[in-house]
Amino acid sequence: MAIECLVLGAGQEVGKSCVVVTIGGKRVMFDCGMHMGYHDHRHYPDFARALTAWGAPDFTTAISCVVITHFHLDHIGALPYFTEVCGYHGPIYMTYPTKALAPFMLEDYRKVTMDQRGEEEQYSYEDILRCMKKVILDLSVIPMDLKQTVQVDKDLVIRAYYAGHVIGAAMIYAKVGDAAMVYTGDYNMTPDRHLGAAQIDRLMLDLLITESTYAKTIRDSKHAREREFLKAVHKCVSSGGKVLIPTFALGRAQELCMLLDDYWERMDLKVPIYFSAGLTIQANVYYKMLIGWTSQKIKESHAVHNPFDFKHVCHFERSFINNPGPCVLFATPGMISGGFSLEAFKKWAPSEKNLITLPGYCVSGTIGHKLMCGKPTRIDYKDTHIDVRCQIHQLAFSPHTDSKGIMDLTEFLSPKHVILVHGEKPQMAFLKERIESELGMPCYFPGNNESVSIPTTQNLKMSATERFITSCAVEQGKRSLHKRNLICRTGLSEVIGSDEEAAEGVLLMEKHKSRKILCEDELLEVLGMERHLVQFEPMVSRIVAAVESELQRAKAADLDSDGK
Amino acid sequence: MGDPHLLSSAHPTASAAAAASSSSAREHPGPIDEDLAAPDPSPSVAKRPRVAAEPPASGGCVPYVEADVRALVSMAGGIYPLARAEALRGLTAVLEKVDPSSRASVAITECSYQCAVVLMRDDDNGVRLAVVRLVDACARNFSARLDFDADGYGDLMDMIFLQLSSMARDMCTQVRMEAFAALGKMQRVSEGVLLQSLYKKVIKTDSMDVSIINGQKLPPKLKIPCAAGIFSHGIEDEFYQVRRTACKSLGALAKFSTQYTEKALDLLMDMMNDDSEAVRLQTLEALFHMATYGCLSVQEKHMHMFLGLLVDANALIRDAALKILGLVNMPKLQIFKSAVDGLITSLEKYPEEQDIYGILFSIGKNHGSFSANIAKHLAKEITMASDGELILDKPRVKALLIVSISAPFSDDKHKKLNIPSIIFSHAIPLLEKVSCALGGEVNQDSLLSYLCHKGGMPFWENRSVSAEFGESESCNVEKVEIGAHVENTAKETKCLDEVLVMQSMKSILEIVEGAWTMRMPCNVCEVRSILRTCKEELRLLAENSSGSIGAFLSFLSEYLDAILFIVEIWQLIQLDNPYTFGLTSLDILLEKLDMSVRRMEYCYVGLNRVLEVQVLELSLIAHLFRLSKIAVCSKVVLGKLLWVINRLEDLCADGSCELSDFSREIKKACDTSPTGDNLIGSINNLFQLFRLKPTTDFGMLKVINAVLRVCDNNSENPLQYICGLPVGISFKISLWNVSSHHRLWLRMTIGESMQHTFLEFSGFGGNDEVKSGSMVAPLYATPKACSFVLQVCLVMECPSAGISTHQGGHGGPSDCVVQLSDELNVYFVSVSQW
Repeated sequence: MAIECLVLGAGQEVGKSCVVVTIGGKRVMFDCGMHMGYHDHRHYPDFARALTAWGAPDFTTAISCVVITHFHLDHIGALPYFTEVCGYHGPIYMTYPTKALAPFMLEDYRKVTMDQRGEEEQYSYEDILRCMKKVILDLSVIPMDLKQTVQVDKDLVIRAYYAGHVIGAAMIYAKVGDAAMVYTGDYNMTPDRHLGAAQIDRLMLDLLITESTYAKTIRDSKHAREREFLKAVHKCVSSGGKVLIPTFALGRAQELCMLLDDYWERMDLKVPIYFSAGLTIQANVYYKMLIGWTSQKIKESHAVHNPFDFKHVCHFERSFINNPGPCVLFATPGMISGGFSLEAFKKWAPSEKNLITLPGYCVSGTIGHKLMCGKPTRIDYKDTHIDVRCQIHQLAFSPHTDSKGIMDLTEFLSPKHVILVHGEKPQMAFLKERIESELGMPCYFPGNNESVSIPTTQNLKMSATERFITSCAVEQGKRSLHKRNLICRTGLSEVIGSDEEAAEGVLLMEKHKSRKILCEDELLEVLGMERHLVQFEPMVSRIVAAVESELQRAKAADLDSDGK
Repeated sequence: MGDPHLLSSAHPTASAAAAASSSSAREHPGPIDEDLAAPDPSPSVAKRPRVAAEPPASGGCVPYVEADVRALVSMAGGIYPLARAEALRGLTAVLEKVDPSSRASVAITECSYQCAVVLMRDDDNGVRLAVVRLVDACARNFSARLDFDADGYGDLMDMIFLQLSSMARDMCTQVRMEAFAALGKMQRVSEGVLLQSLYKKVIKTDSMDVSIINGQKLPPKLKIPCAAGIFSHGIEDEFYQVRRTACKSLGALAKFSTQYTEKALDLLMDMMNDDSEAVRLQTLEALFHMATYGCLSVQEKHMHMFLGLLVDANALIRDAALKILGLVNMPKLQIFKSAVDGLITSLEKYPEEQDIYGILFSIGKNHGSFSANIAKHLAKEITMASDGELILDKPRVKALLIVSISAPFSDDKHKKLNIPSIIFSHAIPLLEKVSCALGGEVNQDSLLSYLCHKGGMPFWENRSVSAEFGESESCNVEKVEIGAHVENTAKETKCLDEVLVMQSMKSILEIVEGAWTMRMPCNVCEVRSILRTCKEELRLLAENSSGSIGAFLSFLSEYLDAILFIVEIWQLIQLDNPYTFGLTSLDILLEKLDMSVRRMEYCYVGLNRVLEVQVLELSLIAHLFRLSKIAVCSKVVLGKLLWVINRLEDLCADGSCELSDFSREIKKACDTSPTGDNLIGSINNLFQLFRLKPTTDFGMLKVINAVLRVCDNNSENPLQYICGLPVGISFKISLWNVSSHHRLWLRMTIGESMQHTFLEFSGFGGNDEVKSGSMVAPLYATPKACSFVLQVCLVMECPSAGISTHQGGHGGPSDCVVQLSDELNVYFVSVSQW
């Protein structure tokens, strides 16, 4: 028996995560993402090719279930395409928060596609809508809770573990018979302010499929970055400047706001903090409801004070951007590619008192990207010119684990095989080397549409006779007694551990019978045969030999009578 | 099991005791052994020697412990996780009891350690938790062995550190916490490993064997990477308990290496942004720990964070940050300046925190040359500032002055620190704070004279000036005692204040004397206003004083009262309107004067001769007024007069002071006519002779005083009573300078009726100076009213030398009294009204 792992997406690249694993004859699709970087056929995983390879009539019969780890578009983006265009109608599993927030993400994506590209789509806006409806209403989308064991069918069992990363992110454990594996999705081994660290049990695994976004990087403590960020913001507002924090609505906004809210409280600052977008506020409502999926601190304190009820966040109206005096504004989108963050940027960039904090990564072509590569003094956007005199602070808060985290998790789980996905090829090669040399586990990083087959151990059930077990125990007892005496003499200098030594026995495998381990003596009885003694006549001293053989015979006779 | 006495009883001499005690020990290990032996069918088990019964040549009871260990080790290999965990806990217990110096302990520890190592990657959380505790116990025993044979354990300790580090990345919170706690308890770690524990990136060192072991087989990764950045992980942990433990251990390990400490500081500084207050406080404690070791040197990048702490909304955090700041070493002037600025900001925001001055002083003292620099700039600022612009009350100026003045006290004596003299003269008003910051080791007087001397002010010439005071006298405040001196803020006598008060008192008395001579032109109104102003002035001075000087100030104000009464009475007498009946304002004034004189006489302990003469003369004049008022020589008054004169003569008998003209004339008049007719006639002349001779020499004056309180009583919350029945009132009483021969009474007044209750204060707790206690006084005659107000005060009897005029009520005081406490209102309401 083997585990067959077909990588449809995110093989040696980041984007469109999609892995189909055949385990014990069951096919499970982990994630169904789209690639944001391409707009051609590479936009989605190559489902059709996989289907022909499997030789199945349709996806619903070919695949037992789809499991979505979290709501990011590169993990869920292709789901509408897969259900509406490819026609998959089987069960889809995702955690409660993912189910709740996925429609927002898809809606957001739909808006972007509607606005920016009028071009022909591989699936229509209606498809997204229908899929969203499915996510919201359809029974085929089944929500999961953490550590809840879900029996997908008679053999296949899946379970979700906390993964950090974003709210509702999960690592998926799947098991068929004795074969077990974990697909991590994206995860984070270090907690942040609103999410905890990934948490999983020790499991006997044949395979671990892990993300490897930062296969080579070891990140230092984020405290230093937080400190710099707070220092910059404090300096700016205390000198009367305005701080613009362009951010996406989910995750980063909450994280930074909690950081600021806490700092405001401690330093007793009165400067207002604003959220521009309705979506962010709406997301906050969701966060408040999904307390169980947040970090320990929030879980502990929410009964007294819900940390997503930000104390220092004030009501905001669009006209406020013209107000004088210091303030902090969270605005979408994160890369200043349009929307309200652009509007605020246009207003505030010309003053050197103000501060813009950029996220760690911006897509090229956006203003955020321009600001990140060297500090421009003038930005031309469409037909307007913006003078940029404000300060710029870059703040990278990545919710992905770093190389050390991957190693830690792998070491903790100690699987028999490791497959790396969701990373850059050279870095993955480096990490593969480390895993193989340091942890001694075979490691693979297949490209897209490649598949890896992994042998699994098969456990055989067998019984042992009572006598065998007793004789083993006796042996062990003798040995330990011997050792004990030894210690008495030498004063405990001998090593006491390692009691285990091999016990001898005979494995009997018969047709139509369960396998059994027996003692040597028992074999005769089971086989119903008599004991034959072969003696070799010694050449010297016949008398002595005769006496000895007499004795031997008597002993054998004793034994035989014992046996009966 | 594992009784240390048994283990150490390997000496032949102790064998008898060992045999005796091991028989008791048998009962405990016995059952375990039997249980274990039960499934063992080997016949030799039956013959298992009872070692205790044998001659104890092989060391008495060691085999018993050994048997325990054996049993526990084999149970630790069992299949049930709870049993495994329990076995490990058993091993830990054995290790805790074993005497680490004994030979047996080595074997037992090693054996337990190996058992722990095997189970390090157990599937069960509880087992892993027990493993950490066991490893911790092993480490403790190993490090105890270090004292006996130092070699050979170093590598092992590093190994244990690495193993614990790898446990600190466990998925189970409890295990992580325990692992960090165990890491903090390590007694010996090599520097390389320590440094590695701070960085996630693996440091390549030649000395460290980074050999690659093909992992999977070997249970723990025994390589340096497993310690990598373990503390960076720890302080980022999701659970604040883990973060707190990590911080604590981070600080505890600082004693091993300075290089480590420097780097650990970065991590700890970052923890100041932690969202949990417990973690922040623990971090500060760790920093304080490091600072007391003298290995805390802050850098520029930490300053923003640190100064943020000084204005933190939480007082505990601010306080801890302050303490640390007083100890840190600041390598650059820039940092020093920003620290001072931060403290000033904090002072402006929280002006009630006077500790800050002490901290300012100590950081200035620790960085002499930097504070000299500050002093230079401040001196320039002071000289540049036009009048009134630089207000000393501003916290900034005060703070800068304190920093500047601290420079001469610093340790870097080899450098010549030129502190401008203007700094010293401006620092004089801050004397109290400076002296407080010095921890009260230096006498304030000498400090003041030093400041005056340095400031070029001939202010206090008569005191000896120790010229090189700062340099000569040992005023090194012990570093650790920073916290201690803060308590000294409530020091009683303020040297500077005393000088100032004396000065102003002198001038007040001069004014009073002048006013007295003015009285002749009969401008009473003017005299009165002068005296009142003086009294007001005294009251202000008295507010800030205590001790003898406070007592003297209150005496003086009493004195001024008396003089004021005398002036007013004299004016009334001059008007000479004998045809008034009943109680006139003259009567009232006379009574007031009497009271005032009586208070001066009896309410002060330790009146010196000059003061007593003053008081007696006042009482002479009071009696004289009485005589003139009645215009008939009252025998009683005359008797009192004579008594006073005799007393005066007594006082002046040894010639230390002279009888004034006024007293002498009265004496003469009394001598010539025993009936005192002469006196009334010549009263005008006599009065003219009266001179004020106020003195400022007061010696050890103490004031007798009392405070009376009734708990939980006010007009809103009255006590209840039943009309006509007695009611008990519970008083809380504090007495100052009352000694046992004083007779005190509680005087309770309801309208016209009055009740005296004797105060038995022998049971009161306290010293000679202050006594306090409580008593329940019954009020017998409650009025038939729905509510009433009882006025209570404490009075003291005045033993007036047998001439008793006071007709006390039944059971009341036999002499006249002075009131000691303010009058207290006690509110009552009848129960039926409630």
